[in-house]
Amino acid sequence: MLRFNRVFRDGGGFDSVLVLLALAYLVAFSAFPLIYNLVISFQSVDLFTIATFDRPFVGLENYRDIVNDPLFWPVVRNTILFVGLSVVFQLGIGLALALFFRLDFPGSTWLRGLFLAGWIMPGLVVGAIWGWLLAGDFGVVNWLIQSLGLTQQKIFWLSDPSISIYSVIIANIWLGVPFNMILLSVGLAAIPADVYEAAELDGATRLQRFFTITLPMMRAQLGAVISLGIIFTLQQFDLFAALTQGGPSNASNVLQYWSWELAFREYRIGHGSVVSVFMIIVVIFVATAYVRSTRHEHVV
Amino acid sequence: MTIAKLMGAVALVTLSTPAWAEQVTINLWTVDRPGEYHYKMAEEFSAKNPDIKVNVRSVQFPDMVNELAKAMATGEAPDVTYIDNPDVALFASRKLLLDMKPMIDKSSVIKLDTIFPGPLASVSYKGGIYGIPRGANTIALYYNADMFKAAGLDPNKPPQTWDELYADAKKLTNKEKGIYGLAFSAAASEEGTFQFLPWLQMAGGDYNKVNVPGGVEALTLWKKFIDEGLASKDTLIRGQWDSTGTFNAGNAAMDISGPWELPRMSKDAKFDFRVALLPVPKEGAPRASALGEGDNVIVANSKHPKEAFKFVEYMYEQMPRVWNEFGYMPAYPVKVDKPNYPQAYEVFNESMKFARNRGPSPDWAKVSKAIQTAIQTTLTGQSSPESALAAAQKSIDGVLSK
Repeated sequence: MLRFNRVFRDGGGFDSVLVLLALAYLVAFSAFPLIYNLVISFQSVDLFTIATFDRPFVGLENYRDIVNDPLFWPVVRNTILFVGLSVVFQLGIGLALALFFRLDFPGSTWLRGLFLAGWIMPGLVVGAIWGWLLAGDFGVVNWLIQSLGLTQQKIFWLSDPSISIYSVIIANIWLGVPFNMILLSVGLAAIPADVYEAAELDGATRLQRFFTITLPMMRAQLGAVISLGIIFTLQQFDLFAALTQGGPSNASNVLQYWSWELAFREYRIGHGSVVSVFMIIVVIFVATAYVRSTRHEHVV
Repeated sequence: MTIAKLMGAVALVTLSTPAWAEQVTINLWTVDRPGEYHYKMAEEFSAKNPDIKVNVRSVQFPDMVNELAKAMATGEAPDVTYIDNPDVALFASRKLLLDMKPMIDKSSVIKLDTIFPGPLASVSYKGGIYGIPRGANTIALYYNADMFKAAGLDPNKPPQTWDELYADAKKLTNKEKGIYGLAFSAAASEEGTFQFLPWLQMAGGDYNKVNVPGGVEALTLWKKFIDEGLASKDTLIRGQWDSTGTFNAGNAAMDISGPWELPRMSKDAKFDFRVALLPVPKEGAPRASALGEGDNVIVANSKHPKEAFKFVEYMYEQMPRVWNEFGYMPAYPVKVDKPNYPQAYEVFNESMKFARNRGPSPDWAKVSKAIQTAIQTTLTGQSSPESALAAAQKSIDGVLSK
């Protein structure tokens, strides 16, 4: 009993148990699916062979099919556009709002809380609402810009192939701004006020204070928010399903949606896995950056 | 005396228990919700056959193929299930469905030769019969007779040919009032294929022969509808239900869709709406129409095929009720007393004779995808109808030759 106490309460035993639990969880729910996905990407898999491990290996054939698919490069381009624009605007608007709410005017905390309402809504609901707003013939946005006299022609936000990807991006920016704002607000709150006071006494302008104090001291938060933003944006599936289904004619198709289409609409499960392997590689790079930026956090 | 009676009663109960245990349970999967077709059928059938219990489980329509394949792979498949008609070949080709032909031959209820050719083709695969249609549906042309009159067109003469359809759509389009001549669906989904295939079939093509002059003609006409603003650009991303919504609201003068629209239309549409057969390429050309709805099938390794077949027979017998109670077209000719929406029923019933199967191909999803891609690349102007259909033909040939 004493021995047990010594090992499990005071010694390294308890620590090991905690680590092992976390490790077991990761192996079961992260490592196994990842590796399984990788294996599938080298196999010829259809609907009826998903329950067995005994499937023909086809080497790199799935990879060759995907890279040579006429859709591959347009989809990659759309994905870069989607992730790039979403993250830049989510971060920019999120930071601006975070700074704005730091001004501490009456009701600022209350309003900031309200902003989160958008973020906690399910993606499909957000998608349905944006679908009504952006509808071509009877959408609110078209009615608004037409009554303001900005344009005579209706804009077909979701069915014009040169516009549809931007419509999804707009909806996704709206969805991601509150999360960015909250994380950045936390970072801002952590900067000691006396640093600003000292700078102000020394005659630094608002702009100088922003660039010499706020930005450098927020480095870790910004790094974290950008990495998480990229990962969340790469996960964004609901908006595509609700708004454009990747269309028209794949003009708004992105890797995450294409992977699902291949696997669960065309039943080319091996090919769908190839696309997700590409995405995993991107996410690994981003996650490394995220881990590094949070490591900096401890130093601050 | 009383004790003896009591003991007798106990003996009776124990004796009757084995009889109870013989009750057979069959599992049924459906895309219906409680209160709809399969739930009602299961309830009625169980009431008539106390020795058979039917368990019903709902699966979302778009998930049915995935769920079923998963269940079959893990041995948890139901005994009877609903499958959308183009997907029957996929399961039949892998011997996952029961060939009902031997049982049907002995059946006094099911008569194959009375079933309409379209629905029958959808359950036939290489000489076997792998399902029984629970009903059918098809598409036709809805039109707003009031708008016809207002535009100086004769509401008793709906368009008969593609040229007339185009001319009427043009006359009926009113850009100031936001009225389109025609609503239909060219979405990149099964609905797009469902709507386009009849046009292709009327013009001499089919799912395995898309690169024909008639196909080019059909796609060119579709593109003209979109480019000239006779149909909304949203046609490319909108399903049939939403497209018909614009017709009901008075934002489109004509609409291509099926009988499932009627309950909502009769409530929402504040005008005289009528139904006509789909226009043909030119006078005298063969007619074609889409075939929708699905089939009741029995899973190959069902433990109770006899009971399952009895249930399928029962559902087949209820065909005279499907129009008025569930909104499907009967899959074989039946006499419907006092049909709901009599004018529409007559047209859709006529249209059923021309309804043609999608496929059959075990790789229907891939064939359909190729057709959708051709439609979408043409309508967005990314390729010409000719090259779009040539590309579709190439991928379809690749799929079918496997």
